[in-house]
Amino acid sequence: MPQTETYILNMGPQHPSTHGVLRVNLELDGEKILRATPMMGYLHRGIEKLLESRTYIQGVPYTDRLDYVSSMNNNFGYCRAVEELAGIEVPARAEYIRVIMAELNRIASHQVFIGSLANDLGASTGMLYTFRDREEILDLFDLVCGARMTFHYIRVGGVARNLPPEFAEKCRKFLDRVPEFTEEYANLLMGNEIFQRRLKGVSRLTPEQALAHNMTGPNIRATGIPFDLRKVDGYSVYPQFAFEVPVGENGDNWDRFRVRFREITESARIVRQALEGLPEGPVMAKFPKMLKPPKGEVFSRTEGTRGELGFYIVSDGTAKPYRVHIRRPSFINMQALDDMCRGYLIGDSVVAFSAIDPLMGEVDC
Amino acid sequence: MKNYIGAPLLSALKEAFPAAEYDSEAAQPAVYIPAAELTALLIFLRDDARFGFARLENLTSADYKTYFEMVYHLFAWGPNVWITVKVKLDHDAPVVPSVTGVFPGAEFEEREVYDLMGIEFSGHPDLRRILLAEDFTGHPLRKDYKQAAPPRVPRLRREGGRVYAAD
Repeated sequence: MPQTETYILNMGPQHPSTHGVLRVNLELDGEKILRATPMMGYLHRGIEKLLESRTYIQGVPYTDRLDYVSSMNNNFGYCRAVEELAGIEVPARAEYIRVIMAELNRIASHQVFIGSLANDLGASTGMLYTFRDREEILDLFDLVCGARMTFHYIRVGGVARNLPPEFAEKCRKFLDRVPEFTEEYANLLMGNEIFQRRLKGVSRLTPEQALAHNMTGPNIRATGIPFDLRKVDGYSVYPQFAFEVPVGENGDNWDRFRVRFREITESARIVRQALEGLPEGPVMAKFPKMLKPPKGEVFSRTEGTRGELGFYIVSDGTAKPYRVHIRRPSFINMQALDDMCRGYLIGDSVVAFSAIDPLMGEVDC
Repeated sequence: MKNYIGAPLLSALKEAFPAAEYDSEAAQPAVYIPAAELTALLIFLRDDARFGFARLENLTSADYKTYFEMVYHLFAWGPNVWITVKVKLDHDAPVVPSVTGVFPGAEFEEREVYDLMGIEFSGHPDLRRILLAEDFTGHPLRKDYKQAAPPRVPRLRREGGRVYAAD
């Protein structure tokens, strides 16, 4: 009998499919994966430590750099935590604007997901289509805050400035385009046989496995568990809007794609309702410029685009936080990578990273 | 944390675990438990029908200069109730039992705490640094951590085709 050995292959850190700088240590038997160990930290900047030496308000732009394709959601999560700690009441108009921004950013982030998934499967054209449509959202953000990335628009106490008068019309114009471009993605990708066969039944996770790995966001919803904090916690003004939580059935890559694909439509529904009900009034709460929250601590979470984004902040009564911990959804979802790769082929590992949709800025923090 | 666990359940917890301590005056009191009883308490909170804290939403630590604190935020989905469990650890040799046996999803978070805060987890399946390089020394999130000075590179001066050290 010939003796065979397993082979170790490093995927990354400079592999285009790793969405940044992730290295995955694959133990292979032939082309079959026996174990996948993610090795991260290439983008570690020590944001938690940096926040300890900044004031609460100076901390907001650092959160932009966590998950840099959905900065609005990160700003939202951090600001909500600080507001809960300091007891700041946010004006109703600001809450509506925040929800509009967070949901638009969710659409933009899911478009990046669909585009990069298609790209990883070899369908580079898919990326061009989704990035073309994402431009429209970035133009809207450019209009409200002057930036196309790292927005720093949602601030502690409200939002940076009121919406420009032409925003509502431009936003509605974009929302009218949503059914058009989602149908285009469906025609382009979902009917494609290669696309289906690479995704269906691959990297399947059971609901029990997803719960054991503490997964959140679209990844857990793909296994059929409707865990969406917008419904579970009902934070901000989300309870006032009608929307559904799309869930999958099989927990495979196809369902992960489908859940995010359907979330685009649901997010557009929320934005439309928020635009309809947008109240008048101030967009910023009144509170002292040098914010000194009382002694205490808070754990506050929101539904980020990739799952549960939590901020644990300890205040010692001074102007700077004593300790900040960020519960990053991508980081915790990465634990499932091993289960999603084991028993599949090397090529499927690329799809597995892509389907978890990790963002290394967030994983490494 | 909107709905925190109420006083009747907290006293039921105190009955089952006499070593648990909490401030009954506070609005959202954290439950302090000795490290030795941590896993037993988490199993109790997860499996007892009155509690049902099946989700460990967050695991982290804080450095209070004279002691470390491990922080566990648990959530019961359904009744939507929260509880915070804390463990105080010695500052010189912080060791706490790993909770990966109770909540397997805590694996990376414990590795992160080990890496950045330097707390040992006994019984962890794969306790290695996760974000920093393997040969890194020190734990940056500790309050007494001092950033090492950047390596000194001598400046060079060019004169008449020759290179001299500038200082």
